[in-house]
Amino acid sequence: MIDADALPPFVRERLRALLLERSHALVLGFDPDWTLREIHGDAAFHGIDTDAPAARIAALQDLFVGIDVGDDQEIPFVELANGRSVHVYLLADGESFHLLLLDADEARATQRSQQQLANEAVLAGHAKSKAIDALRNIRNELERQRARLEEANALKNAFIATMSHEFRTPLTSAFGHLRLLEQQLPPGESGDALQAVRRSLTYLFALAENLLEYGRGEAGGGLLYPTDIDLDALLADCEAMFCPLAVAKNLVFRATLERSDATTPRFDEVKLRQIVINLLSNAMRYTHSGEVVLALRWADARLHVEVSDTGIGIAPEFQARVFHPFNSGAQSGSRGAGLGLSIVRRLVEQMQGTLALQSELGVGTRFTLDLPGAAASPSTNDAAPVHGRVLVVEDDVDVSRLLEVAFEGIGLDVRVVGEAAAAIEVALAEPPRLLVFDMHLPDLSGCEAVFRLRAQGYRGAILMLSANASADARDAALRAGADRYLTKPIDFAKLEAVARELLARE
Amino acid sequence: MSAGPFKVCMLGDFGVGKTSLVSRFVRSTFSDKYMTTVGVKVDSKEVARPGRDPTKLVLWDIAGRNAIDSVSANYLRGASALLIVADGTREASLAAALNLLMQARGLLPNAFAVLAINKFDLLDRWEIAPPTLTQLRRAMTVFETSAAAGSGVEEAFAAIVAGLDP
Ligand SMILES: Nc1nc2c(ncn2[C@@H]2O[C@H](COP(=O)(O)OP(=O)(O)OP(=O)(O)O)[C@@H](O)[C@H]2O)c(=O)[nH]1
Ligand SMILES: [Mg+2]
Repeated sequence: MIDADALPPFVRERLRALLLERSHALVLGFDPDWTLREIHGDAAFHGIDTDAPAARIAALQDLFVGIDVGDDQEIPFVELANGRSVHVYLLADGESFHLLLLDADEARATQRSQQQLANEAVLAGHAKSKAIDALRNIRNELERQRARLEEANALKNAFIATMSHEFRTPLTSAFGHLRLLEQQLPPGESGDALQAVRRSLTYLFALAENLLEYGRGEAGGGLLYPTDIDLDALLADCEAMFCPLAVAKNLVFRATLERSDATTPRFDEVKLRQIVINLLSNAMRYTHSGEVVLALRWADARLHVEVSDTGIGIAPEFQARVFHPFNSGAQSGSRGAGLGLSIVRRLVEQMQGTLALQSELGVGTRFTLDLPGAAASPSTNDAAPVHGRVLVVEDDVDVSRLLEVAFEGIGLDVRVVGEAAAAIEVALAEPPRLLVFDMHLPDLSGCEAVFRLRAQGYRGAILMLSANASADARDAALRAGADRYLTKPIDFAKLEAVARELLARE
Repeated sequence: MSAGPFKVCMLGDFGVGKTSLVSRFVRSTFSDKYMTTVGVKVDSKEVARPGRDPTKLVLWDIAGRNAIDSVSANYLRGASALLIVADGTREASLAAALNLLMQARGLLPNAFAVLAINKFDLLDRWEIAPPTLTQLRRAMTVFETSAAAGSGVEEAFAAIVAGLDP
């Protein structure tokens, strides 16, 4: 720093004058109780009216709230009410003190433009990387969808082509010849064998039907027709079908049935048989020595199906793929159309069962299925009344009235709240079994309200209603934490089904 | 205890909306335009207190940083409360807020702190998930705020007033 005393007096004087002028220095002398005693310098520049300084003095005093004015203080770059920036110094002087204000506007302008550039660059970088991420996601998603569509299309074409000729024609021919044989042979001779052939052909036909269903897609194939099932007959049929195959390949085939539930199982018979037959066909095809075992167990209203073999096994990396259609190469040496297991998976899903696969290369494979039996009278369940309180957050009285009627109709108590903030309080204080939010509320949006609830740990079921059917609106609601999203006009059957589903999930 | 005034410091990374929250609270205004704060801007507001005399808050809107340097440490002196601000659309600003809170706790062990996650009106761009906030709420008072729309702002300052002087 410059040694002012070493300067010639006239230089020192000039320098002092320049600095005082440029800094618009202002000195204020105060009593300990902030009574202004003296004021020197450019008061007007700092927005202080020397005749009525009280307001500005109060603002300066605010700067020292919580701070002891008995010590020197320094507060750089303070923006005061007039918008200008000053450096503020407090100089303690025994009991009383002085405030020194120096203009910092120019320095602030420089610093601000640098800081602004730097901050905006960071913010823009963040926005840019987010936008790029979003674009990348969209592109990937489009790419995936395109691939899926192409695959699905190829699948369907391949399927329809194979089906129409190479499957149906030989089956028809086989049936014709079988009929001839049955007529030619005297009854009693080879009757069992012919019966087995006929059964197998019948199932092949059923399988063909299932393939057609595959071609039709999800739309028409999901219906189940449960009937009482004779498990002993199923087992016997499997033995009749697969024992001869096993003998021909020098394999052991065993089929067992265990039953600890006295009720009669109910399943869609065609589908159940197709599942078992597909699994056994698959096991037979890939087993060259050892055994193939079918174990059925009917317990607790669930059918447990296990098909295990000592075949070639499936490498871990292919295990997920075997359930995909046309998975050529998944099981080495595979020559089949590769549809069997994908059909099994599909049927198990339709029957709301589960399917597991354990396999080790060269050791064998085991498929385990768990299928819930169909209820004896399937429709009563749907109409069963439910209980508890539903909180409806909706500001339109007509709509809330409709919702009230709908929910009371299935046995729920309904409370209606017209504002989101109040609803949040109510929901947190007394969590309802179901919370139904309208997307458009007078205070907060439904999304904001749901987010707030979730952000405070609310875990109950939340259903969002909105007139907006766009995918964006739906995604926003689900991302904010809603469990389901339904659009208006309200489809009451759907509303009821969704409400039941959410209540059942608790 | 004390009748005030009370010094309240706004702390948070740059651009999170400290200045905007103060303008919303003190003047009920909002601007889209970003003008970064250099140093500090001091405002004040009379606030009502349920069941007692009103008091005055002196609000220190401090330039955004992701850590407390010697300049901001100087600004913090004498503060009774902190409004720590993060921007819900930038996850990194929450980390900065928590870091600032930890550092400030060292300097001001008795100051009462409230966390505001701002820009709630931009919820569809938020990077902070509800479970994170649920976790944070176990440790401190948290508000989702929007200086743009006004939601949560009064509540956050009211919580500060309530926490000042128990
Ligand atoms: N949409 C939206 N924008 C906001 C909100 N709060 C602030 N902003 C915007 O975010 C930008 C930064 O706001 P500021 O209040 O200047 O942020 P700050 O924390 O004071 O920033 P520094 O002074 O640089 O530390 C401005 O463009 C504001 O308009 C909000 O609640 N919603
Ligand atoms: Mg600012």
